[in-house]
Parts: sequence; C-alpha cells; structure tokens
Amino acid sequence: MPNISSLNTPLSAMRAQRQILDVTARNIANATTPGYHRQRVDLSNPNLTGVGGVGGNNGVDVSGVTRSADDLILARVATEEGGRAAADTTAATLKRIEGLFPEPTDHGLSAKLDAYWGAWTQVANNPGNVTARSALLSKAGTVVDALHRGVQDLTTVADNAKARMAGIASEVNDLTARLVTFNQTVASQPNPSADLLDQRDQLITGITKLTGAVTKITDTGEVNVFIGGRQVVGGGYAAQLEAPAGTLRFAGDNQVVLMTSGEGASVAATINDVVPRYIAALDDIASTLVTTVNAIHVAGYGQDSVSGRNFFDPTATTAATIAISADVAGQPSKIGAGEPKIPGPTAPGVLDGEQARKLAALASSATGASTKYQTMIGSLSVESNSAKQRASVQAKIADNAVRDADSVGSVSIDEEMTQMMEAQRAFQAASKVLGTVDEMLGFLIERVGR
Amino acid sequence: MRITNSMMLRSTMRDVGQSLNRYQQTQAKVTSGNAITTGSDDPAGTATALSIRRELSQLDQRSRSITDAQGWVNAADSQLDIMTTRLNRAKELTVASGNAITNMTPAARQAIATELRSIRSDLLNAANSTYADRPLFAGTAAGPAYSSTGAYQGNDDLVVRDVAPATTMTINVTGNEVFGVSGTGAGSLFEVLDRLATAIEGGNTSAIDTERANLTTAFDRVQAAAANIGTKQNALEALETRATNDKQALTSRLSDVEDVDLIESLVKVKAEETSYQAAIQMAAKALPVSLLDYLR
Repeated sequence: MPNISSLNTPLSAMRAQRQILDVTARNIANATTPGYHRQRVDLSNPNLTGVGGVGGNNGVDVSGVTRSADDLILARVATEEGGRAAADTTAATLKRIEGLFPEPTDHGLSAKLDAYWGAWTQVANNPGNVTARSALLSKAGTVVDALHRGVQDLTTVADNAKARMAGIASEVNDLTARLVTFNQTVASQPNPSADLLDQRDQLITGITKLTGAVTKITDTGEVNVFIGGRQVVGGGYAAQLEAPAGTLRFAGDNQVVLMTSGEGASVAATINDVVPRYIAALDDIASTLVTTVNAIHVAGYGQDSVSGRNFFDPTATTAATIAISADVAGQPSKIGAGEPKIPGPTAPGVLDGEQARKLAALASSATGASTKYQTMIGSLSVESNSAKQRASVQAKIADNAVRDADSVGSVSIDEEMTQMMEAQRAFQAASKVLGTVDEMLGFLIERVGR
Repeated sequence: MRITNSMMLRSTMRDVGQSLNRYQQTQAKVTSGNAITTGSDDPAGTATALSIRRELSQLDQRSRSITDAQGWVNAADSQLDIMTTRLNRAKELTVASGNAITNMTPAARQAIATELRSIRSDLLNAANSTYADRPLFAGTAAGPAYSSTGAYQGNDDLVVRDVAPATTMTINVTGNEVFGVSGTGAGSLFEVLDRLATAIEGGNTSAIDTERANLTTAFDRVQAAAANIGTKQNALEALETRATNDKQALTSRLSDVEDVDLIESLVKVKAEETSYQAAIQMAAKALPVSLLDYLR
C-alpha cells in the first residue's frame, strides 16, 4: 500500500527524465561543435548506494552529467595532430621551394647554364665576332641573376618562417595562459564540468599542434605541459615564450625551446636546416662556376693579346654575390678565348678560340656547376616527394586517431532520438504512476473513516 | 565500432575531396601535356629529363659547330678547286714553252710570263679568301694570309671544332701546308711561280726545267691539301647525319619522360570523373539518412 512519500518516487523519476531530455537536446544542438563530447546523465538508485537508507528514498538520483571521452585516445589525437601539422608544413615548404626552381623547363637555371656553355662554343667557333662575345656576357649575366634570385627567394622563405615562429610564440602564450586559468579553476573546485574538460582538451590539442608538447594530468586534475622536456605549464604558472629572431626561446633565461613535433618543429627546421642547406647548395654551384671558369679563363688571351683576366669576380664566390669580373664586364673583346702558346706562354693568333672551346667543355664536367645543380634539383625533388608521402601517411594516422575519438565521443542522432523516446516514455510512465498513487491516496482519504 | 553521423560526414568529405583532387591532378596533366609538373611528381623522371635536356643542349652546340665546320671546309674546298684549275693552266703553259723555248720570240715568251704572273696573282687572291670574315689559310692569325708580295702573314695554328662527344676535328689547312714554306726547299708556290716567269722571260732553259719540277711538287702539295679537305667534308657529312639521328632519339626519349601519354591519361580522367560522380551521388544518398527521417 502506498504512503504519502510514495509520491516522491515518480516525481524523482520525472525530474531525472526531464534532465535526460535536456542533455539530449544539448547533444543534438552540439552535434557538429568541434571538440564537443556527447554527455550523458548518470542515474543511481539511492538505496543501492546506501544514501537513502532503509525505507527512505525509493526514487532515482541524478548523480551527475559526465562526458563520454577516452583520455588515452584524446592524448593520441593530440600527438598525431602535432605530427600532421609538422608533416603538412614541411611538405608545403618544400613544395614552395620547388616552385622557386622550376625544373625540368626551358627557363630554369639548368637551361640558363646550358645557354651559357653554348655561348662559349659560339665564341670558340667565331672568336673574332663581337656579337658572339657580347652574347656570352649576357648569358653569363642571366646565370648570375638566376643565382642571386634563387638566394633571395630562399631568404624570403626563411623570413616568412621567422615571422610565423613569432606568431607561434604568441599563440602558445595565449593557450598556456588559458590552461593556467583552467588549473586555477580546478584547484578551487575539483570535479570540473564536462564543458570545462572539453575546453581543456582543445587547449592541449592546440599547444601540441603548434609545438608537439607533452601533457600530463595530475591526480587533482591539473594540467602540466612540457615542451622538449622542459615544463611550460605547471599549476598556476606558465612560462612565457618569445621568438624575436626566428628561434623560439623561453623569455626568462633565453633557453631555446626544443620541439620535436608540431608546426613549430617544421618551421624551425625550415629556418635552421632546409633553407640554409639549399642556399649552401647554390653557393657551392656559384663557387664551382667561379673557380672552374676562372682557372681556364685566366690563362686565356683576349683579342688584345693580354692574358691573366678573370671572367667572374674571384672574391665573390657565393650565390648572393657572384658577379662578372670588372676585367671583362662590358668589354667583350677582353674575354680570354685564345689559348696560350707553349713554350712561352705567348699570345696565340687573335682568331684563336681554343680556350673558349675548353670552357665550353665544362658543360659536361662531372664536377661542374651544371652537374651540381642537377644533383641539387634531384635531392630537392626526392626530399619534397618523401615529405609529401610522409604527410599523406601521417594524415591517415591522424585521421584514424580522430575517428577513434569520434567513435567514443561524437554525437549520434540515432542514439539521441532513441534516448529522447526512452526518456519521453519513462516520463509518461512516471506521471502515470504519480496519477495512480494520487488516485489511490485520494480514494483512501475520501472513503476511509467516513 | 560505434559510428555516428558526424564521423560519416567527415570521412565522406575527406573521400570526396581526395577523389576530386586526383581528378584535378590528372586533368591538369592532360591539359598541360606535361607528365611532370614539379620535380616531386617523379624525382627519377626529373633527373632523367634534366640529363637528357643537358645532352640535347650539348648536341645542339655540336650541331652548330658541325655546320660551321662544314661551311669552312666547303669554302676551303672551292678555293682549292680554283687553285687546281689555275695551276693546271700554269703547267700547260710551261709544257708548251719547255718544248720550243728557244724557238720562241721574246714577245711570245713575255706573253707566257705575263700569264704566269696573272695566275700567281689569282692564286694569291684565292689564298687570301675568307669564311665568315676569317682567313681560311692563315691559321688563327687575323689575316690576310699573304701580303701582296707573297709573304706568309699567318701562323701554323690549328682551328679545331668539337664535332662529337670527346671528339674534335681540325678543319683548317694552313698557308704553309698548302703553298709550301718560304726559305725551305724550293720556297713557296708564289716564289716558284715568280722565278718561273722570270726564267721564261730570260729564256734560261736549265732554270725553266728546275722550276717546272718545283711547280709539279707545289701542285702535288695543293692536291694533297684538297684531298685532306675532301676527307673532312665526308667525315663531317657522316657526323651531321649522326647528330640528326641522335637528336631525334634524345627528343623522343625526353618526350617519353616529360610528356603525358594522352590515351592513358584520358582514360584515367574518365575513370576518375566516374568515381568522383559516384562518390558525390553516394554522399547525397547516404548522408541525410538518420532515424529522424522515420520518426513522426
């Protein structure tokens, strides 16, 4: 036989079902919100937990709203997203560098070098022809310009990367500051809400994407962040980062931040490895060009029967500085096309083109500038190709991690609909119980003792 | 595994995107005609293409050198032809005069001498001929090869052209080779002709005989030079044919590496278009479906 307190049981059920309906609505509303994890209402029977006591509360308790998330999978997502950011950035950078050296085409440095060597053949065939000699100087000019331009463009790539690094520093500072706020909240009120946890995980993924940071969550729920083994966030403290000259450093002691993953690692590699490596390759090409051409040219005789002139400025042996020497610049007749006569050496006939012929032969030299450029393009295309492949593999891995996380945490409309119907029916049933109990009690109150 | 609507949406978007990306890449290849748009498309192909392009450029240079050498050698050949004709005439004159030299009137002898001197001047002109402003018979000197008195102003240097990989050809014959060196043996052809004319004028039989023998020697030397040039002409012709063939072979190899196989790519574009259409059609059908559609 029901007593008055029996009315509370269906009431608690109706309250609980209404809350379930609330949370369902919330899940549906946030079905596409990034970083949102589906939430569910935890119900418990107070009698089982002993809180209600014997003969006490027979209803249902809402013990809390929890989110459906697997911290291990989320940590994996953060790590793999960091890897994806690094691989994508590296592939994009190398693609951009490839664009600076368009090969195989008719207008790349390779074609310009070929035209330059060809101009030497023309001088060898027509040593007395001013047009052939002038053409040689202008072809040499295009090679020099192309080398200058190559270094300039690569420097721009590095400069852009440095600017990006400054952006990364301020983004990380912003994220760490918000994590500190989270830590402070957790310190004052343990058991953070589901929304707060979603926010926390988004901040962690953000930092990991940028710097490949490693995160540890303490027993009390606080977040500690480490980059390259050094702590960046701990409790209520966050280390400030800065990148004034393109290197990410701790603002306090100027220590370099060592990143092994994330966009920052790739940007740092662009600045410290990729760009310097290709500038060094161009420098090698330039210095090879200067030394091999000059070595032969110095011995050659101009039309004025004078030898000992350099074709390229011997003191400018980098790609950024390479220049046609003042000995011959603008003076085609002084180009040393004539071969010295041995013994002597004495000046050859003014129409001798043997030295020019020897210079033209540098085109096919296995250690010459053309071969070195070809090697550089070869390694650039291999590096870019493998970066592209690494990026696509990493994308698959990261996609898998995201899929696993989604599988646990994302909202399923079908589930929510079912949940909604279930809650609706339960609510209806509870109200029916309420009505029935009320009816029975009413019957008792009205009829008994009349 | 638990699958949700947003997971399906995400993976469908990714797959459709990838399908469209492949479609676009193949289409770009067909429209541009290039199999390699950037080096990373095909690193091995890029390296091969660069090597072939370098080879082609060097082959072009050699072809130009061969053409230049042919022009030079042909010019030299025609000049040597003229010289041979004129020298034949000189020999005829001296044969005629040798038979009846003493019976001739001084005026007749004078006429022969005058013609010999005119032949000498013709030969001198031929010896000073040029090809593209370069003296043909002066080695590497600026020229002209001979002064008006018949003194050699050139040198004995070779004019060399690169005609095949690691192969060179000397294309010139120097004045000293063709006409003999002044001061050694009988001296140069021009000196022989000078002395012969003087001997005939003077009716000096023994001198005439000596110089006639010298003239024959000089004639043989010119003939030898002409034969030498003729050999070079033949060799250059063979080299030209070879260079043309090489160029064709290299160009077709380059095209194999760099150019798109049109039929294969068109078929691929069609296949990718179909697969893209199938993907978006599938997405359009599958994505909107949820339990919601069946509740009322």
